[in-house]
Amino acid sequence: MLGDVTEMKVLDIFSYAWGGIRLRKLRATLTTLGVVIGIAAIVALLSLGEGFRVVMTSQFERGFPLDALTVTAGLGFGFHPSPQGTQQSEFYLIVNDTQAIDKIESVKMSTAIISKPVSLSSGGITRTVSAMGVNFTEYSEIYSSTFLAESGSIPINPANDTIILGARIADPWKNGTIFATAGDTINVTWTTGPISKPITKSYVFYVAAILGEIGGFGISGPSDTQVYIPMSTAQTIFETDQVDQIVIQLVDSSQTFIDSVTEATEDLFDDKVTVMSPTALLATVSSILSTIQLFLAGLAGISLLVAGIGIMNIMIVSVLERTREIGILKSLGMKNRTVQIIFLSEAALIGFLGAAIGIGLGWTLSNFFARFGLAMMGGAAGGGPMGGNLPEAGFSITPVLTPTIFLGALAFGVATSVLFGLYPAWRASKLKPVEALRYE
Amino acid sequence: MEKTNLKAHKNKENAEADVVEIRGLRKTYMMGKVPVHAIRGVDLRIKAGDFIAIVGPSGSGKSTLLNLIGALDKPTDGRILIDGVDVSTLNGNQLADLRRKVGFVFQFFNLIPRLKARENVELPLAVAGVDKGERRRRAEELLRIVGLEGRVDHRPTELSGGEQQRVAIARALASNPRFLLLDEPTGNIDTKTAEGIFALLRRLNEENGITVIVVTHDQRVANQAKKVIYLLDGSIERMSNVGGRD
Repeated sequence: MLGDVTEMKVLDIFSYAWGGIRLRKLRATLTTLGVVIGIAAIVALLSLGEGFRVVMTSQFERGFPLDALTVTAGLGFGFHPSPQGTQQSEFYLIVNDTQAIDKIESVKMSTAIISKPVSLSSGGITRTVSAMGVNFTEYSEIYSSTFLAESGSIPINPANDTIILGARIADPWKNGTIFATAGDTINVTWTTGPISKPITKSYVFYVAAILGEIGGFGISGPSDTQVYIPMSTAQTIFETDQVDQIVIQLVDSSQTFIDSVTEATEDLFDDKVTVMSPTALLATVSSILSTIQLFLAGLAGISLLVAGIGIMNIMIVSVLERTREIGILKSLGMKNRTVQIIFLSEAALIGFLGAAIGIGLGWTLSNFFARFGLAMMGGAAGGGPMGGNLPEAGFSITPVLTPTIFLGALAFGVATSVLFGLYPAWRASKLKPVEALRYE
Repeated sequence: MEKTNLKAHKNKENAEADVVEIRGLRKTYMMGKVPVHAIRGVDLRIKAGDFIAIVGPSGSGKSTLLNLIGALDKPTDGRILIDGVDVSTLNGNQLADLRRKVGFVFQFFNLIPRLKARENVELPLAVAGVDKGERRRRAEELLRIVGLEGRVDHRPTELSGGEQQRVAIARALASNPRFLLLDEPTGNIDTKTAEGIFALLRRLNEENGITVIVVTHDQRVANQAKKVIYLLDGSIERMSNVGGRD
């Protein structure tokens, strides 16, 4: 009817919008800063969290072979088999339960673990640690990559007074102040009897070996902060057959075996035990981490919400200021929709710029924190069973910026800006040309 | 040269056709709660190649009439046909398309301050989706026609009032409009510069066959026109077919 009508080209729209931003440099910079801070916070938290997950996973897999299942009494996660918990529970596992488990198909072998808190004394220093009663041969077979002596040797037929120390027990501060070395004797003190009437006993052990440094968090398997005594000794001195854990080694780490053995073991104990596979445990830890990460990112997201309101505020002012310009554009035949797109493009450009800078800043921040911040927190994070005694757990986080975090942050920044730009853009497009042109 | 560059709508078949046809036009708008009858029944036909001056005192409805013809505003009653199309039947997008066929020139130039003279002239072409190269060529050509070939890269603030108005005229011509609508084009510039603008308008009308509709209360502008319409209180008081042309 009115001849061929084509529309403004996307590139021209962006270039015009960019001109509008450049005109108000300070204001645009401040508006962008809001997005930068929000995105930087999100990216820093997520990439640190991702780095933490990677460390967790690798540390975890080191101390926890994939072909090993952990059986604990009762229903629970069993990360930390607590002595009290098992005592209170009606059902408990005993040392001989391994014989029944060994008969299950696809089970290579199983070994029981008794865990009790004890005090170690050497050279006037006393420390409280977890003593693990294990069968040295079986235990080193299952944890062949971590239960390894750095000094001394792990005896196949240990004497009753043999003790093996984790790396951080022998050398707690990593500064040459040695608590004990292979060949030393140390005094081990523990309490036994009912909680109301505890009896303190003590015994002198001979340090046969010091384990190499493992790292990790001591969730399962050997840990730098535990000591190991022969199973028979543990049974004798703690006066119990009750075990905290049975570790099953499978013939193969495939999921089929994990599932079938898990089910058979649960059946064997009438579903009164929890069988944890490393993959399931990892998935649980991972999902907890994800929740924490999401929560933190949500908090950071609030700052982006504030930035969004800032964008909206500035854009409403901008639309008012440029009322006349909008009138001119309309008098030149620009459609409402195009006016709207121009203002949305300004918001999108601010969001894009802010997100891009924010990702860079967040990445820098997370690296900074990984290097300096976590070193200070290292003691607390890695203290574990030592109750924060250890200044350093020997793990470090390298932040990870996954494509998902990168693209997600970029999209989130742009989307937030555009979302808050919708109303101002709509207002701009609804201006009546005559009134807009008259606007002073 | 200029004739060929400016594709004028002065071809033989179209010469006598009505570019604008106005019938029983009324426009009432609200000033707060008081209705203002800006246009009270106007009938008017404008032919291709016309040069019409609309004169009248302040508040006579000149600018309102111009805005209605330029599809910037919608009539309360009556009809405006542009190239035979009834403006009141058009939706927002169609009105926008129609405005691309109209070249508006305002009293206060209304250039975009951050854009250079050339970019201001290019703007209606950019809005219409014309390629960058083509836009640039046409803008530079138009700036040459209005006598600003040396001012292509200047921003409005670096130009005098007369120069800004020439840029505005070049911009109005950019999209090959059916007609130029000028609202007090010399109202904000000095007498001597205004002379140049008159000469330009006359040249565009006579040599390039551009239809010109100009609102003014400057008698000298009216003297350039072929037809003068006297507006009083929203109606046409009288029409003189030949202005006081030399």
